[in-house]
Amino acid sequence: MNEITDRAILAALGRQMNQAVQRQSVAAGNLANLDTPGYKARTVSFGDVLEDELQAGAPLARTSPGHLGGITPADGAATEVEGLAARRDGNTVQLDRELLNMTRASGEFGAAQTALAAKFRLVRYAINEGR
Amino acid sequence: MPIDAIDTSSVVARAARTGSTPAGPASGSGGAASSSGFADSLIGMLESADRTAGDANTAIANMVRGTGDVHEAMIALQRAETALQLTVQVRNKLMQAYQDVMRMPI
Amino acid sequence: MSTLRGAIDASASALNAQRARIEVAVSNIANAESTRGPDGQPYRRRDIVLATEPVESFDQALGRAGASGVRVASVVEDTEPFRRHYEPSHPDADAEGYVAMPNVDVPEEMVNMLGAARAYQANLTAIGLIRDTIQRALELGR
Repeated sequence: MNEITDRAILAALGRQMNQAVQRQSVAAGNLANLDTPGYKARTVSFGDVLEDELQAGAPLARTSPGHLGGITPADGAATEVEGLAARRDGNTVQLDRELLNMTRASGEFGAAQTALAAKFRLVRYAINEGR
Repeated sequence: MPIDAIDTSSVVARAARTGSTPAGPASGSGGAASSSGFADSLIGMLESADRTAGDANTAIANMVRGTGDVHEAMIALQRAETALQLTVQVRNKLMQAYQDVMRMPI
Repeated sequence: MSTLRGAIDASASALNAQRARIEVAVSNIANAESTRGPDGQPYRRRDIVLATEPVESFDQALGRAGASGVRVASVVEDTEPFRRHYEPSHPDADAEGYVAMPNVDVPEEMVNMLGAARAYQANLTAIGLIRDTIQRALELGR
């Protein structure tokens, strides 16, 4: 059975929060430019590092200069969304789509934050030995 | 990150080790059957705490992957917390009982 | 925090820009019938030109793309020629009885105004969502 270590879980939760924050940031930028002529809606994508982290119990590898050991910054770069229809002014941002993305990211952040807080609470309880 | 040096299961294991030792000498004076029963039940609780902690990690991993539901992870976390609390409290009570016994003048 | 701060700055910049669009639309509508302004000419429709403006944040230093805000690049006058209405009784009618009317199309201004209001609302919602995320992040420290 694949034993998922506490360290892997904490790193994965931290990463989930980073990704959610980046998604919110990109969506905010898109919404701000809803009426800017020629602006193309952007998105951010992440590699499946989450899965790798969960599999390995070993210390996280540094494959990029931006990596810190432990909670690493998500390596998403903003790219243009493909296949969106442009309006008359060349803008491709869709209001509902961005709000939905932002709401979803908000939910993901909340779930990860709650889980992380619960893990911390467990550890603190064990340290205090219930006293 | 300092948090990874502290693993909940190792702390509970340490707690159980100190908790089960008092049951040893007590079994010499009192009924051997009842005091080893305490140790057994504590070890059982410890295993349950360890298991529920592992289940919680699995549930969280599923949540993060997207294959599991958020509420499942939250429930698993609550179970783990309850199991841990139960284990630690029982161990504390055992420690207390042992110390009470040791304080009795012969 | 820096990423979220940048996101809030981007949304806030949009509030300014959309409010400016509403103000311009209101001004256009109010002057839709002004055939003689201070310069003796009919009112000329105004328009807002928006441009993307990157928001300062740590993201750039870390190699990540930061949020993009928006700014009012300029306020321009619409160069569409004035429409000419036949209305000899109008005080500003010329020798042939035609009046030059402002190049404002009120329904179009209403549509612009509604669009700007909707965008304003969306960015306001975004600020709320980001603020909630920040608050939840702070809870981790408790």
